[in-house]
Amino acid sequence: MKIMTCPINGPRLISEFTYWGECQTMPEPADCTDAQWADYVFNKSGAPGIKHEWWCHTPSNTWFIAVRDTMSDVIEKTFLYGQQ
Amino acid sequence: MASNNSMRLPLQPGEWLDRGTVLPFRFEGRSYSGFAGDSISAALWAAGQHTLGRSFKYHRPRGILTLANHDINVMLQTPQAMNIRGDVQALCAGMELVAVNTAGGVENDRNRYMGLLARFLPVGFYYKAFHTKALFPLWERVIRNFSGLGQLDLAKPALHTPKRYDFCDVLVIGAGVSGLQAALHAARAGAQVVVVDENARSGGSASYQLGGNAAALEALRELQNAVAAEPLIRVLTDTTAVGYYADHWVALIDAQCMTKLRAKAVVVASGSFELPAVFRHNDIPGIMTGGAAQRLINRYAVRPMHTAVALVANSEGFTAVLDALRAGVKVAAVADMRMQAPACAARDEVRAAGVRVLDGWAIYEAHAGDSGRRLTGVTIAPLLANGDANARAGEQVACDGVIMSVGYAPAANLLYQAGTSMGWSDTVQQFVPATLPAGIFACGRVNGVYDSAAKALDGQRAGMLAAAHCGFASPQLVPHVPEALRCPSHPWPIVAHPQGKNFVDFDEDLQLKDFYNAAQEGYDNIELMKRYTTNGMGPSQGKHSNMTALRVLARILGKTPIEVGTTTARPFYHPVPISHLAGRGFTPERHTPMRALHAQAGAVWMAAGMWQRPEYYAVAGRSRMQCIREEAMNVREKVGLIDVGTLGKLEVIGPQAAEFLERVYISRYANLAVGMTRYAVMCDESGVVIDDGVVARLADQHFYFTTTTSGAATVYRELSRLNTMWRMDCGIVNHTGAFAGVNVAGPQARKVLATLTSADLDGAAFPYLGVREIDVAGIPARAMRVGFVGEWGYEIHVPAEHGAALWQALMQAGAAFGIRPFGVEAQRLLRLEKGHIIIGQDTDGLTVPREAALGWATKLDKPFFIGQRSLQAIAKRPQKQTLVGFTLDIPGMDTSQDSHPNMPSESHLVIVDGEISGRITSVAFSPALGQVIGMAFVTPGLSAVGTRLPFRLTSGKMVDAQVVALPFYDAAGACQKEASA
Amino acid sequence: MPWRLLKFAMSDRHPEPRMFTPHAQLKSSYDVVIIGAGGHGLASAYYLARDHGITNVAVIEQGYIGGGNTGRNTTIIRSNYLTPEGVKFYDESVRLWQDLSTDFDLNLFYSTRGHFTLAHTDASMRTMRWRAEVNKHYGIDSELVYPDFIQKAVPSMDMSCAGHAPILGALYHAPGAIARHDAVAWGYGRGADMRGVEIHQQTRVLDILTQGGRVTGVKTSRGDIACGKVLCAVAGSTPRILKMLGLRTPIYIHPLQAMVSEPMKQWLDPILVSGSLHVYISQTARGELVMGASLDPYELHSTRSTLDFTESLSAHMVEMLPQLSQVKVVRQWAGMADMTPDFAPIMGKTPVKGFYLDAGWGTWGFKATPVSGKTMSYTVANDRTHPLIEGFAFDRFERYALTGEKGAASVGH
Repeated sequence: MKIMTCPINGPRLISEFTYWGECQTMPEPADCTDAQWADYVFNKSGAPGIKHEWWCHTPSNTWFIAVRDTMSDVIEKTFLYGQQ
Repeated sequence: MASNNSMRLPLQPGEWLDRGTVLPFRFEGRSYSGFAGDSISAALWAAGQHTLGRSFKYHRPRGILTLANHDINVMLQTPQAMNIRGDVQALCAGMELVAVNTAGGVENDRNRYMGLLARFLPVGFYYKAFHTKALFPLWERVIRNFSGLGQLDLAKPALHTPKRYDFCDVLVIGAGVSGLQAALHAARAGAQVVVVDENARSGGSASYQLGGNAAALEALRELQNAVAAEPLIRVLTDTTAVGYYADHWVALIDAQCMTKLRAKAVVVASGSFELPAVFRHNDIPGIMTGGAAQRLINRYAVRPMHTAVALVANSEGFTAVLDALRAGVKVAAVADMRMQAPACAARDEVRAAGVRVLDGWAIYEAHAGDSGRRLTGVTIAPLLANGDANARAGEQVACDGVIMSVGYAPAANLLYQAGTSMGWSDTVQQFVPATLPAGIFACGRVNGVYDSAAKALDGQRAGMLAAAHCGFASPQLVPHVPEALRCPSHPWPIVAHPQGKNFVDFDEDLQLKDFYNAAQEGYDNIELMKRYTTNGMGPSQGKHSNMTALRVLARILGKTPIEVGTTTARPFYHPVPISHLAGRGFTPERHTPMRALHAQAGAVWMAAGMWQRPEYYAVAGRSRMQCIREEAMNVREKVGLIDVGTLGKLEVIGPQAAEFLERVYISRYANLAVGMTRYAVMCDESGVVIDDGVVARLADQHFYFTTTTSGAATVYRELSRLNTMWRMDCGIVNHTGAFAGVNVAGPQARKVLATLTSADLDGAAFPYLGVREIDVAGIPARAMRVGFVGEWGYEIHVPAEHGAALWQALMQAGAAFGIRPFGVEAQRLLRLEKGHIIIGQDTDGLTVPREAALGWATKLDKPFFIGQRSLQAIAKRPQKQTLVGFTLDIPGMDTSQDSHPNMPSESHLVIVDGEISGRITSVAFSPALGQVIGMAFVTPGLSAVGTRLPFRLTSGKMVDAQVVALPFYDAAGACQKEASA
Repeated sequence: MPWRLLKFAMSDRHPEPRMFTPHAQLKSSYDVVIIGAGGHGLASAYYLARDHGITNVAVIEQGYIGGGNTGRNTTIIRSNYLTPEGVKFYDESVRLWQDLSTDFDLNLFYSTRGHFTLAHTDASMRTMRWRAEVNKHYGIDSELVYPDFIQKAVPSMDMSCAGHAPILGALYHAPGAIARHDAVAWGYGRGADMRGVEIHQQTRVLDILTQGGRVTGVKTSRGDIACGKVLCAVAGSTPRILKMLGLRTPIYIHPLQAMVSEPMKQWLDPILVSGSLHVYISQTARGELVMGASLDPYELHSTRSTLDFTESLSAHMVEMLPQLSQVKVVRQWAGMADMTPDFAPIMGKTPVKGFYLDAGWGTWGFKATPVSGKTMSYTVANDRTHPLIEGFAFDRFERYALTGEKGAASVGH
């Protein structure tokens, strides 16, 4: 099975992780139009590429960021949020 | 009838037999015997039984072709097992075998007339006919009956096998010469090595392609001994690497179970598939590959035929002829398809033995007797420049066997799966690895290396590099593998014939012309050709046919093999039993600490996600519905006790705890007084309601809150993520499993609790919706006065280790007050009477707060909460549906009846003017109110109190309900608040 | 013996013409360019030519005909969906399926088998009854059935699922069917080809050209095409194409895996689906068992396979049908599912004039092949959204008007 490296617990089987999705920047709710907000809520970048994603090591509840190529599935690096 | 062992040879060096153990068995109703170590096909062949199966489409007699599990000519069935591959399945005593898919037995299969219909059944024939609408069902039945191989025993219980895990530095797939060399040199560099081989013994082709070369066999023995003596190497035979997965995760299958192995590097030394030559009637029993003949002779001590014609295009072919001669086979002729074969020692030896060798000749067609079951001879002919045979210059040669040795295709399946890109080598006329992914290595025949000395060097090279990849010392000198001096594969081992029956795919009965016809029809790329002809889609998955089909397509298109490309190789290399994939299964259940007490009380269990909860408590002589209603009435009239320990239980603590809760829930909590609770609703970013619970403020910076049972893990995880991002000054803890919880509710609840605690339970000291940390029966507890079931009640949470004690204390204390436990169903009834929603039942994946009568809880003027901005956008749009309460009069229905024909169920629709205008989300007969009550989503126009709601029952009958205000029971909330008890 | 097979015995030469005309070059312009020669793209081309008389059409395909999800799905056809717009849409599809083999003169092996969606919890039973009621309202043959009925249809099923998840009932849909997936692409392809549509395989779309918010042409690996209308029907490749136009949608791509067994004699007639166990299974006319489960858990633009997929599918399948432990799996594969948050497709016009989208097909695309062709061809020909697909509009998310197809996602208490 594929291996993902949790920044705290080290390399673990991917079945130990929960995938949340691509990191997104929330627009300022007060400043954006309804359409812009709906775009933030629903739309995705969709196309393959190297993405920053939220992942959680489920047994230890460790949330972190993984930089992953969503075409080749190569995980370039993982790190705790804010600790690039 | 052939006598037993008529083809058995005397003891062969290196044979796999244990002649001391005789194994009797039956095939097609007749008795045979073989030896331990025989495969089923070998034992039958030894006994002179050569019709071993019938082909899938034309039901032609079939015998041994590759004997390597690269074809399924011999597919058998026993009462115990289906689809047994006779060529490689070890013989066991007492087996009762029949060939699959025959009508009346393998010798006289009545379906053999299908062969006569071959003219009417061109490639893709089933697409071109049988689809007259009226007749298709009939034709489909006929076709479905013809299809399929073995018969599944539907009554067989599940077989549970264990699963194993294994680890190593270097995994070597294939224990032939190159694989063993790779293992040895990786181990000598310090790597832990596992070698797997699907055969019963290691050695690969060097163990059977002998040609009487005793020295080569001895060298193999030495290599095998060296490997055995190396402590860092484990050799697993009878073990197949069936699939390669991410990060060098390889599935290994043996007879018992599956092993999942993690390697740091993988050396693929899997060898190659020996390809059948294509000529008319090349499938008659007795026509086999050189490798099959040599396996029969050298592993199983079976003479493959009495008189052979050999069709060769490489030196391996002549080695096979030498093996055959040694085994007493008379070789009537050797047709060498090469016009100018290079010199080789084996060829010279064959000539010296007096065998007639014809250069530039091929077999034009084979001839059968005995209804196609027996080879009687072949017509050999010289080849023309374009590869066709000059039939007029041909001659007939009598024989009962053909040895074909015309070429190979790499067994590169696992290389493809690992992401290797293959290139084409003109030198050896096969695909070879061009770019290997990191950590993957190839050696031996799969790498295009055929010469024995070169194979050994190639293995050494691969092993050293694999060990280096794992971090062991880089080798000083990696051996240089010399270029191939000869080509082991003929580029066109195919002889056309106007009458066809020259088979390419033996699984699917595909002839040469099928490929030309498919291309003519426009299926002329490799993928379309495969799908249209079904080449390679049978159980052999193209092992003996893909390369040949590719060559045909290349010729048709005027392209090179690399330009044509290959179809994708997918797991599994050989079919894998579902038992091995399933393993023993693992279905965990979560129980609360009170489980045994519930069971003693007669609990009937229901699943709530992974949890088991009491649905109700069974009472002798009472129906399920009666039990549920009586449990509910007991709560209304006296006092009931329910286990709510499956709820999610979280805490948030810190200076920004209140602010955090305000951001994740739709209501306000900053103004929640210490010691009070408040209902909580959570939405997602699109404004949809996803969870609810109760928030209790234990201190200024300390909140304790609940979630639904099924939402617990997800909510906790998401709140953790949010705070990881927001980094607010607070921490979140998940106590879901650490705390047990009960709800004791009813007019007598306070009295019951009062006997167990010294805390002041007076309405002023402990008001409705308050939370207090008190001792109950000596157990430190958090008690909350909540309103879910609509009676005076306390939800009490304690550390889980005290859960059972708490339950028992309450039951004992409550006995005097008529306490009864109640389950999930009674609770659902009680909460319905109070008009309380259940997330996921009275809401769905689109429900926003205002639709579920939760507008009051939505504080859109807060600075921020998840879902707020979307709800602001939604608020501008018309509301699509509203949740309302309704009552339904069913004359004559009362508590004595479990149900009534006019009683609707959840999900029954509201139909107004022929349109769907809503649906019931909850409905039940209320014993407290004596009528049917429920909640339904309706279009906003139907939501006014008093509106008639027509429901359509399953039968189509309409019944009318009317909209009423919620709650149904105790609208003033008097039962829950100060004035009572 | 069907008469039409006689011709094959009569002549020495194979008497069949080419299905797909090869075209050495792309023309410099077409009226309509369809991106994707899968079932949907070819169906649209077929109906454009047959029903709307629009034949100056090129279908551009990066691989081979039907090589995407059309050739990878598990071929289940049904119309027992949850929402009115879904039910009406898929019902029309099932109607079209009935005559497709005759229309094509190609046997699609459309086999009506009956379809069970098994319910193991009361929440699931509620959802099944909801679907049954909506289905019946629109005249779909669909009903809630109970364990006796199910056991009779599949006598070898373990109704308790090894004691872990007893079956409480099922949504039974008698018209549920399977068909030969590749053949659908071939049939539509030949029908379009016969009518003058050009199918160009091994041709990649590199860019879509616009001017003033309107499509003007397509750049391909074999040359540039001028055109005023482009229909994009590329399923898992949708986001890559949309990126060329700067269009954003909720579509996310996850692999969807499947596996197939060795062929065996017929024993399973109906199609079985279990929501709780997350498995589905059917038996083809060749005797193979085709099995699938839920979507892979994370985004990936690849058709790679995993071992754990086969393990959990096998473990659950054996709970339901214990005899399967003696069956062998021959092959596993995957497709790239273009998922949407409301489990309904995105069809019709887009903010770019002349650019039409047929996407968001997730795990529900194969059954919709005929109706997607019908409605998209209408929409492209008339530049007007076909009524049956109004609920699947591109802009519905912006309007918070998601379909309710996933609306039955229920959470137990």
